[in-house]
Amino acid sequence: MTKQRTLAVLAALSLLALAVGAIGVVEKFLTGERLAGYGSYVPWGLWVALYFHGVGIAGGVFAVGAVGYLAGVPGLREHFRVTLWVSVVALAVGLLAIWMDLGQQWRAYRILIDPSFASMLAFNSWMYVFFFAAMGLLFLLTFNKRGPSALNDRSGWLVPLIFPALLMAIAFPSQSGAVFGVVDAKPFWTTSLLPMLFLASAVTAGSAVLLLVHTFLAPEGTPATGQPLRVLRHVTIGGVVAYFVLEFAEYSVALWAPASAARESLELVLFGPFWWTFWLVHLGGGLLALLLMTVGRTMPVIGTGAFLVAVTFISARLNILIPGQSVQELRGLREAFTHPRLSLFYEATLNEYLVAVFLSALGVALVVLGIVILSRGGATREATAA
Amino acid sequence: MPDEATRLNEGSGQRLSRRDLVRGAALAAVGVTASVASVTTARIAPRKHDATGPATARQFPEPTTVPLDGDVDPLIRMQADLRRAMAKPVEERRWTMVIDTRKCVGCHACTIACIAENKLPPGVVYRPVVQEEFGEYPNVQLRYFPRPCMQCDEPPCVPVCPVNATWKRPDGVVAVDYDRCIGCRYCVVACPYGARTSDFGLDYSDGTPAPQPYEELPNHEYGKSWDRANHGSPVGNARKCQFCLHRLEEGMLPQCVTTCIGRATYFGDANDPDSLVSEKAREPNQIRLLEEHGTKPRVSYLV
Repeated sequence: MTKQRTLAVLAALSLLALAVGAIGVVEKFLTGERLAGYGSYVPWGLWVALYFHGVGIAGGVFAVGAVGYLAGVPGLREHFRVTLWVSVVALAVGLLAIWMDLGQQWRAYRILIDPSFASMLAFNSWMYVFFFAAMGLLFLLTFNKRGPSALNDRSGWLVPLIFPALLMAIAFPSQSGAVFGVVDAKPFWTTSLLPMLFLASAVTAGSAVLLLVHTFLAPEGTPATGQPLRVLRHVTIGGVVAYFVLEFAEYSVALWAPASAARESLELVLFGPFWWTFWLVHLGGGLLALLLMTVGRTMPVIGTGAFLVAVTFISARLNILIPGQSVQELRGLREAFTHPRLSLFYEATLNEYLVAVFLSALGVALVVLGIVILSRGGATREATAA
Repeated sequence: MPDEATRLNEGSGQRLSRRDLVRGAALAAVGVTASVASVTTARIAPRKHDATGPATARQFPEPTTVPLDGDVDPLIRMQADLRRAMAKPVEERRWTMVIDTRKCVGCHACTIACIAENKLPPGVVYRPVVQEEFGEYPNVQLRYFPRPCMQCDEPPCVPVCPVNATWKRPDGVVAVDYDRCIGCRYCVVACPYGARTSDFGLDYSDGTPAPQPYEELPNHEYGKSWDRANHGSPVGNARKCQFCLHRLEEGMLPQCVTTCIGRATYFGDANDPDSLVSEKAREPNQIRLLEEHGTKPRVSYLV
C-alpha cells in the first residue's frame, strides 16, 4: 500500500470514527454527565486520561521536534511546520477531552479570566495559552525563512522563541504529573517520581507520533534507516526503556517496603480487575513496539511499532489515574452510603468511549490534513521564498 | 555568497548563534520569573471573599419560655451559645463540631435530615455515618462515626481549585461558590475524607413518568436560592457540608445537630470558652480523623 493510499484509508477511517463518536458527543451535550461512569469517589476517568495523554503528546512532539530542528536533523528541520501542527492538534484534542469532562463546560473560560495560580490546573491552563501563542508565532516565522533548511528566520526571532516554547513543552507534561503528585490524599500519587514518569511518557509518545508522521513525510524510496526516522526511532526506543525503568523503580520500592501506603493501589494495577491494561496493553504493547522498532527494517513495521507506543501509552496514564483513586483513605466510607456514583470501581461507559473515539479521530483527521497540506504547500512556499 | 561565519552572525545559518542563545535564554527567563511570581502571589495572598466587621453580626431574641439554667437539653444550651456567637462579627466566630461516638447509635437520622435540608440529589451526601466493627463474633463491638466536612484549617481542597471557587471563610467554614465552580472535581480528588461529592444532575425520579415536586424545590445553601433545572448550579459542581451556614444566619443550629436523637453532635463557637462545644473540645479522649495529612480538621470525635 502506498503512502497516499494509507493516508486516504486513515482519513476515511477517522471520518467514520468521527461520525460514530459524534453520537457520544451529542449525547453528552444533551444529558450532561448522566451517562458517564465516573462518580465522586473515582471522579477522574477516561477523558482525564485522554487529556493527560494529549498534552503529553503535544509536549513530547514539540520537545523532540524542536531539539531535532535545532540540531539540524534532516527532515525535522524541513518539516518543522508539521511538528508545530501535530503538537497543536494533540494539545487541542487533550483540552477538548478535559472540556468534555467539566461539570460546567461553559464556564471553562473562568480559568483564564479568574485563575488561582495556587492550583496546578490554572497554572497549566495559562501555560497552554502561551504555548498555543508560541506555536502560532513560530508557524508564522517559518514563512520568513530563507529556505527549508535555514535555522533562523530573517527577523532572527524564530530560534530564540523555540527556547521558551521548549521549556513549556517540557514543563507542562511534567506538571501533569505534579497535578497528581501534590494530592496528599492519594498515597499512590504522592511521589516525586510522578512528574518524571509523565515527562518520560510524554517524550516517548511524542517521539512515536512524530516517527509515525515522518513515515508518511519521508520521500518514496527513503530507507527506514534514513533521517529523521533513525533518530526518532532511537528516541522512542530509549523512551520506552526509560519509562519501564522508572516504572520498575516506582513499583519495586512500593512492593519491597514492608508497609507501603501505595501497595494497595499497586496491587490493583497488577492484579486488579483491569490487570490486562498493565500486563497486556501497557507492558505487552510496549514490548511488542520495542521489538518491532528494534528489528523492523521497513517503514510499515517501524510505523506499526510507533503507532503501538502512541496508543498503548494511554494505559500508563490510566494505570496511575484509576488505581490511585480506587483506594480510600477513610475506611468504611464506601459502605456508609451507597450509590452507583459512590463506588470505588470505575469502568468507562459507552458514552465515554464514544466521546474518546470522536476526539481521537478528530486528532488523526487533523494530523492527516496537516501532513497533506503542509508537506506540499509548505515546501512550495519555502522554495519560492528561497 | 556569504561565508559560514557571516551566515552565523546573521542568525540565518545552520547552527545556533550566541545571539540566538542569549535571546532564547532571556525569553525563557522572563517566562520562569512570571510563573514563579504568579504562583508565589497566589500562595501568600489568597483572595478575600467574605465581608467582615460589625455588619456581619446578627442579633437574635433570647428565648423566654425555656429555662437555660440547670441541666438543660444540650440543644437548648447550644442554641443559646449560637445566639451569643452570632452577635459577634464573623471573623470572631470559630465554628467547630465535636461528635461523641459513645452516644451515636448509628440511626443515620443526621444523614437523612441533611439530605432533606440541602435537597441533595442521588449520589450526593454530606454526612454519611461510617460504621466500624471491632472484634470477632460473638465478641464484637460497633462504633459509628458520622463524617461531615471537617472544615479543615489547612484544607487541601482549597488551593487546588483553579478558579477561586472554594475558600476558607473567616469563621472557619470552607465554602463553595457554585456560580464559579467549573466542575473539574480536583477538590473532590484532593479531600482525604471524601467529604466532597459531585452533583451529576441525577434525580430520584429518573426512569419514572414525571419528576416529583420536592425535586423541583430550590435549596438554600449559602443563603442563596439554587435551582437545579436546566443544568443550573449546583448541577455539575462539587458539593459539601457547610455546617448549614444558611441556618446559622437565621439563628438555627445545623440540621444534623438538631436531628441527632442521641445528642451526640455538639456544635458551636470554639472562641467562646463557655460554650458547650468548647467544654467538649477540652475533653482528653478526643481523636481527629487522618491527622497525619496535616489538614487540621475542625471536627473531632470523643471516643
